[in-house]
Amino acid sequence: MPTLTIDNQQVTVEDGTTVLEAAEQLGIVIPHFCYHKALGAVGACRMCAVTVHEGTFKGLKMSCLIKVEEGMVVTTDDAKSVVFRERVSEWLMLNHPHDCPVCDEGGECQLQEMTIASGHGVRRYEGQKRTYNNQQLGPFIAQEMNRCIQCYRCVRTYKDYCGGKDFGVMGSRNRVFFGRFKDGPLESDFSGNIVDACPTGVFTDKTFRFKSRFWDLQEAPSICPHCSLGCSTVPAGRYGELQRVRSSVNEKVNGFFICDRGRFGSSYANHPERPRQASRGQWKLTRDEALVQLDSKVRELIRQHGPEAVLLLGSNRASLETNWMLQRWAEKIGCRAPLLSAHLPRHLAAQVAAFDLADRLASLEKIRQSDLVVLLGVDPLAEAPMLAVALRQAVKKGGQVLAYDPRSIELPCVFEQQSMSPLQLLELLDQDKSPESGRLLDLLKKAESPVLVPGGDLLGAGGLLRVQKLAVVASNQTRSCLVHPVLAGPNSFGCGLLSLPEQDDLLTQLESGRIKMLVCVETDPLLEAPNGERFAKALSRLEELAVLDYLPTLISAHTKLFIPTSAPVEAAGTFVNNEGRQQLFVPVMEPRLPIAVTGSGSHPPREFLPEAPGSDPRPAWQLLQQLLGEEVELAQLRERMKTAVPRLIDFDKLQPGGVFCRVSDADERSCYADEISAQPAGSLQLVVSPARYGSDLLSRFSEKLKPRFTDACLQLHPQDAAERGLDDGMKVALKTDCGEYYLTLRCVEGVATGCAVVENGPAFPQLVPGGKLGFCQVAAGGRHD
Amino acid sequence: MPLLRDIKGFFPPFWITLRNMFRKPVTVQYPEQKPELPERYRARLVLTRDPDGEERCVACHLCSGACPVDCISMQAAEADNGRRYAAWFRINFTRCIFCGLCTEACPTLAIQVTSDFELSGRDPLKLVYEKEDLLVDHCGKNVEYSFYRQTGIGVAAPRGGNPNESAPVDVKDLLP
Repeated sequence: MPTLTIDNQQVTVEDGTTVLEAAEQLGIVIPHFCYHKALGAVGACRMCAVTVHEGTFKGLKMSCLIKVEEGMVVTTDDAKSVVFRERVSEWLMLNHPHDCPVCDEGGECQLQEMTIASGHGVRRYEGQKRTYNNQQLGPFIAQEMNRCIQCYRCVRTYKDYCGGKDFGVMGSRNRVFFGRFKDGPLESDFSGNIVDACPTGVFTDKTFRFKSRFWDLQEAPSICPHCSLGCSTVPAGRYGELQRVRSSVNEKVNGFFICDRGRFGSSYANHPERPRQASRGQWKLTRDEALVQLDSKVRELIRQHGPEAVLLLGSNRASLETNWMLQRWAEKIGCRAPLLSAHLPRHLAAQVAAFDLADRLASLEKIRQSDLVVLLGVDPLAEAPMLAVALRQAVKKGGQVLAYDPRSIELPCVFEQQSMSPLQLLELLDQDKSPESGRLLDLLKKAESPVLVPGGDLLGAGGLLRVQKLAVVASNQTRSCLVHPVLAGPNSFGCGLLSLPEQDDLLTQLESGRIKMLVCVETDPLLEAPNGERFAKALSRLEELAVLDYLPTLISAHTKLFIPTSAPVEAAGTFVNNEGRQQLFVPVMEPRLPIAVTGSGSHPPREFLPEAPGSDPRPAWQLLQQLLGEEVELAQLRERMKTAVPRLIDFDKLQPGGVFCRVSDADERSCYADEISAQPAGSLQLVVSPARYGSDLLSRFSEKLKPRFTDACLQLHPQDAAERGLDDGMKVALKTDCGEYYLTLRCVEGVATGCAVVENGPAFPQLVPGGKLGFCQVAAGGRHD
Repeated sequence: MPLLRDIKGFFPPFWITLRNMFRKPVTVQYPEQKPELPERYRARLVLTRDPDGEERCVACHLCSGACPVDCISMQAAEADNGRRYAAWFRINFTRCIFCGLCTEACPTLAIQVTSDFELSGRDPLKLVYEKEDLLVDHCGKNVEYSFYRQTGIGVAAPRGGNPNESAPVDVKDLLP
């Protein structure tokens, strides 16, 4: 721990820290461009010059490159360094086009800030400016190469950190160019990060083009609601429109970056068909009227048919507060305990993660540092994209990644894949049944910090319990084998946590006919649970269906009473991510119709109204509070929730935008009884995988992500296809328990033999991932539509 | 001596009154008679055009950022020819204090003050000016400046075609 002096202030820092980082700890900001905490330093921009008076290397040095030494004396504000930095700033500006007024980066541009901080103001150079031609980089990223200062941050982010392959640096001397070899959309699923990484306006968010200036945006720390990882984000809105999302820093979870699904999948909040007013059929209601109707109907039905007649349904899209308030409301009206998920197998998997795995959960940070990560039925790019980037960091540090999966998975790093059908995967986890088990266990025992990453969707609760047993066997006294379960939604873990022990299936309940009324809170069983068609039939037999949601979901068409709620960006709440981290988010903006809609593209309407149009939605927990008749502040609600659910962390200790804490370990265990149905002869195992974009409802309702949606297809191993006399590109019929579907066949080498893989997405929403192990038949023919 | 002082103090006011009786009066008979204001008087704001007749405003939000009373609001958009322009631009003159900070902040010399001070009325909404009320058909005080001819992103002239710019580089060229 060397102690050094910077600008007459002493600081003691860890070995290996650079002078720039040490100065940062003292609150001294040394101007810099190419240094980035996640990417390290390359010394390309020469901006961070300081003078070293005592040390091995004396004189003017780049502070991002020199490591601290005992007794070092450094000044950052001496005349020599200051003049040097001003000259550097001047030469960086030689070719800059000075187009800040029309540049989207203006106002949050590091080049603007550093130029002003360094004191350079008047251009002295009279030579010519270098120019470039731009490239079309697809729907998300706009390029303006004339603004480039050659700090190499984009290529270090895109290629080195995130593992993209189609973007790089070209040219020589002062003609260095950052882009693709030829025009075309950036292929990486993490391409948006170059917008955050670029210190100036070379790469800007095309979906946010010319929308707002940084200083006009309403921003607040939030949690990404698109998958179970819960990355830290900063969404930004203006004039009632959610305009962009940028990544925030949580070193325990996402680090510094986020994926494109989280970044560009935010426009669900501005969906043109988003319901913003309460209604009963055709009739518009005020919020209070709707709540009174809901309350009286619930009470009436319970009085008539008993407590079984009303069923409340929570969701993993809804916050912890909402789900807990739903339980409280059920207690008050005297109906049965609410189901917190329409999708039972996914919910059971979340319960196993929340209880049985609670004492050995690993964060993404642990995965980045791990030397052996084993993926068990997880396709990171589809289910939890930032996991793929974390795996790349592990591999870069010398770690190994093993993937057992029935799908052909891609990762932005070197890894070993073993194609395995879901049944084979379960056998592998049973340890003595598969020859591969021995090898896996050996590797796990030898590794210093192994992490198992099971997919809750593919393995289900039974599989996760097997993973837990494997982790116990692979642990020893010095270190335990950790698990990082990938779950279905942003608050799956939280729902699992709230609802032990018993949970029964919503569909069975509905079909029994005892249920007269269903209240869905921020969930759509037609799209988010298997057997959507059977659900639709069961729903039509209900006497009353009430929906509280912020998306124009399918169930809204069946609903009798609709009450709008606010989207996650418009409400405060808590999500518990897949490793049990209790994360708070705060509202970014008020719910209201965007001015772009009310003014239909032109200026806002010239009228004065007491309330903005479309400002009716309220957070679901607030509506439930109103129903309960106890309207208290959020802090008080959280205090009560903490008392009722002792595993939660004290909310006072958590700060929005911080690293947050994991919920405490569980004493109880889930009581899941495993049953594996036998495979019918001649059938294939059905694997329903989420599509990379549009599988979760939020990204499906995001206009911006549409260019990334893919067509539906059925993937088979070429051998399986040949056995059935099928060719690549043929129309085939897929017969499952849920129905018969007609899809285009694609033969993929990486798919495990004996498996049929379909992707759930906007093009094929009928089958939902995470159902029980299913079997199917694939045959030629079918309709050609 | 107080008496002498009082006598001395008695005559000058009469003298001043007498002297001004034969001067031309400064009072202007407004509104029949319009006052002539200096060129740099700060009153109603306008949006000017560049010498090519295109809108100067690029909706960069610097005026609204500089405005101490938040009376300017706008939305930027992109035209087919790559120009950034204001889809709508609103100045609320009931709130404007005519400080002129917006004109100082404007990097394209689009927003300028004029000496038209006659901004009063009974209906506040009539003082909320939209872009069509603000946009004028001349260059205002500067008849030469065109932002896109100074800044090198290839909008008014092709890329590399503005003064002091070299032609776009060929990045696949290996020559030194």
